[in-house]
Amino acid sequence: MTKLQEYFNTEWSAMTGTDWFGLILTVVIFILMVVVYYWALNPKNKQELESHRTMLLNDDDMKSEK
Amino acid sequence: MQAEQQQYSFEIVKWFAYMAVVYLVVGTGIGVYIASELAWPVLNFDNPYISFGRLRPLHTNAVIFAFGGSTLMATAYYIVQRTSGVRLWSDKLAWFTFWGWNLVIVGAVITLPLGLTQSKEYAELEWPLDILIAVVWLAYSFNFIMTLSIRKVSHIYVANWFFLAMMIMVTYLHVVNSLAIPVELFKSYSLFAGVQDAMIQWWWGHNAVGFFLTAGFLGIMYYFVPKQANRPVYSYRLSVIHFWALTFGYVWLGAHHLQYTALPDWTGSLGAAISLAMIIPSWGGAINGMFTLSGAWDKLRTDYILRFLIVSLAFYAMSTFEGPVMSSKTVNALSHYTDWTIGHVHAGALGWVAMVSIGAIYHMVERLWGTTIHSVKLVNLHFWMATIGTAVYITAMWVSGIMQGLMWRAYDDYGNLAYTFVESVAQMHPYYAMRAVGGLIFFLGACVMLYNITVTIRKAVANSSAKEAALVNATV
Repeated sequence: MTKLQEYFNTEWSAMTGTDWFGLILTVVIFILMVVVYYWALNPKNKQELESHRTMLLNDDDMKSEK
Repeated sequence: MQAEQQQYSFEIVKWFAYMAVVYLVVGTGIGVYIASELAWPVLNFDNPYISFGRLRPLHTNAVIFAFGGSTLMATAYYIVQRTSGVRLWSDKLAWFTFWGWNLVIVGAVITLPLGLTQSKEYAELEWPLDILIAVVWLAYSFNFIMTLSIRKVSHIYVANWFFLAMMIMVTYLHVVNSLAIPVELFKSYSLFAGVQDAMIQWWWGHNAVGFFLTAGFLGIMYYFVPKQANRPVYSYRLSVIHFWALTFGYVWLGAHHLQYTALPDWTGSLGAAISLAMIIPSWGGAINGMFTLSGAWDKLRTDYILRFLIVSLAFYAMSTFEGPVMSSKTVNALSHYTDWTIGHVHAGALGWVAMVSIGAIYHMVERLWGTTIHSVKLVNLHFWMATIGTAVYITAMWVSGIMQGLMWRAYDDYGNLAYTFVESVAQMHPYYAMRAVGGLIFFLGACVMLYNITVTIRKAVANSSAKEAALVNATV
C-alpha cells in the first residue's frame, strides 16, 4: 500500500450511521456546488445574470432617492 | 423625502445606525483600555471587575455583536426595503429586535465584568442571554424573509442573498454551539465535552467570522459600493459565484483553529485545504467590488465615503489571503497562540468590517435624514485616523507575533529552550504600547464620527422642524 493509499484508507465496516449521514450529505452538497458553478459559469446564462447589474441604479429612478 | 419615509420603515434603520456608532465608540474604547492593561498592567488596579480577563470578552462582544450586529440590522432593514420596493413586513417585530438586541447588550455589560461566562470564545454569554439572542435573531430573520416575500420586484438582489445566508447559518451555529445544561440562573455546562467541545466551538468561532462578520458585510458591500459610486456592480455573475463559493466553503474551515491538538489530523488538513481554496472566491469578491469603480477611479479623490468602502475591500483581500496562509500547518506552527493571530483578526475587524460599516453608515445618514454631512473635513480626518490606526495596530502585532513564535521555539545546542516565557513577554512591551497607540488613534476617529453624525442629525431635525413650522404658519 502506497503512502497516499494508506492516508486515504477507510475502514468501511466501522462506519456508523452518523458517519454515513455525514458522508452522503457532504457528497450531495459537493454535487450541488458543481451544478451551481456550471449554471453560473455557463455562457448561455451570462446575459440573464448580468441583466441584474443595474438593478440598484434603476431603483434610484423608481424610488427617487436623492 | 417625506413620501419616502412613508413608503419605507426608516425610523428603525435610523436608531440601529446611530446606536452602531455609539457602540463603535464604546467597543473600541474598551479595546484601547485593555490593550493599555497589557502594556501597563498597573491599569488593572487589582480590581477583578476591570481586569483584562473580564473586559476582553466585553470588548469582543461590544464590537462584534453590539456594533457589528446593530450595523447588520440597520443595513439589512434598509437594503431589503429599497431593493424590494416595499416597507418592512412588520414594524412592531423590527422594534422588538431593536429593544431585544439592546437588552442582550445590557446583559453582556452586566454579566461579563461579574465573571459570569461560558468561557466559549465569541459565545461567552450565559444561557438566559443565549436564548434571548436566539429569539431576537429569529425575529430579525423572519421579518427580513417576510419582507422579501412581499417584494414588488421579481429578482432578489444579491446583497439580500448574503444576508439570508448569514441569518440561516448564524441561527444554526448559535443554537448548536450554545447547547448547554443550566445548573443555576447564570451557570451552565456545555453539552459537549473534550475534543468535541473544541470542534463545535471553532466550527462556531470561525463561522461567526465567516457568516456574521463576512457574509453580512459582503451584503453591505454589494449594495453600498455601487450606490455610493453610482455605477453598476462590475460583474453580477462574479457576485453569484462569490456567494455560492463562500456559502458552500466557509463551514469547513473551523478545524484549522485546532492544528496540532487532540483533533484528528485530517480534520485540520481539510480545514487548511479549504481555507486556501477560499482565497479564490474571496479575491473574486474583492476585485468585483473594486472594479465597480472601473472608469471612475477619480471619484476616490473627492468621495471620502467611497474611500472607506474601497479601502475596506483592500483589507478584506489582505486578510482573506493572510488567514489561509496562517491556517497551513507549516505557518500555523509558528503563528498559533501568538499576537500574529490578534493582528490578523484586527486587519479583518478594523480594516474590513469597521471600514465597510462606517462607509455604509455615512451613506445612510445623509439619505435617512435627507441632508448632507455636517463636515466633510471631519469624514476625511476620520478616514485617515481609521487607516493609520489600523496600520499601526496590525504592524505592531505582526512584529510582536513573529518574534513571540521564534522565541518560543528557539533552542540551544543541548536542546534546552533558549528563552523563558517571561523573557518573551518582556520583549513584547514596546509592541503592546504601539498597539495601544494604534487602537487609540482608531478610537479617536470613531469619536470624530460620532460627533460629526450627531451634529448632522441635530441640524437635519432642526431644519425639518423649522420647515414644518413655516408650513403651518403659511397655511394658518
